[in-house]
Amino acid sequence: MSEGPNAVAFDINGIISHQRNRYPVLLIDRVTAVDPGKSASAVKCFTYNEWFFPGHFDDEPNVPGFIQIESLTQTFIMTFLCMEEYKGMKTNFVSLNNVKFKRKIVPGDVLEIDAVLTSFKRGIAIGSVQSAVKGEPACSGDFIVAVPDILDRFKPKTP
Amino acid sequence: MSNREKYQAAFAETFMLDPKDLTNLKYQEAAAWDSVGHMALMAALEEAFGIEMDIDDIIEFSSYEVGQDILAKYNVSIEKAA
Repeated sequence: MSEGPNAVAFDINGIISHQRNRYPVLLIDRVTAVDPGKSASAVKCFTYNEWFFPGHFDDEPNVPGFIQIESLTQTFIMTFLCMEEYKGMKTNFVSLNNVKFKRKIVPGDVLEIDAVLTSFKRGIAIGSVQSAVKGEPACSGDFIVAVPDILDRFKPKTP
Repeated sequence: MSNREKYQAAFAETFMLDPKDLTNLKYQEAAAWDSVGHMALMAALEEAFGIEMDIDDIIEFSSYEVGQDILAKYNVSIEKAA
């Protein structure tokens, strides 16, 4: 978690103004700390009212893996979308590696997410993200995300 | 490893192509050489040759052959194919 001199935080309105995800796929509630270009921490509070719990599963509600991945990703992209020059840009997955799910997440759990940006060059962001519930490790992985608006600046000329 | 071998390896490993298929290869002619693949290739070449390329050169880098001329600007000479 970042607590350096440049650390800032975002409530839900701040998140909405910096990234493009919206209901039903805006999957972080608060960014608790950001060190621009370096790291971000966020929380996601899961309530039974989430749209996916009735289907996953009606007799044993728990957070689907793809939702966990998306929560981690939305924390990760805040490491650079928090900067004015990248604010509001859309992002795409390039790759996910070493993804692990270590804990079932159920209604009432608060997922605490910490993301580190190890490289951000010419629209390619590389980093790793970890998460936990009550201090117990949950989902984690190494992510590569692209920012198409930046990639477009570097596209070769075609005849 | 010669500069030609490093150059071929960057393309072959980034785009998962056989080195014999690289001659005359142009941007977007291989499925993996899209805008994301282009950035991966630039990163691979910069690491292989210890250089940092200018934005104009990255944009001009539109084919396997053109890339060799661009690298010459950075004092990276790709030997002629045998």
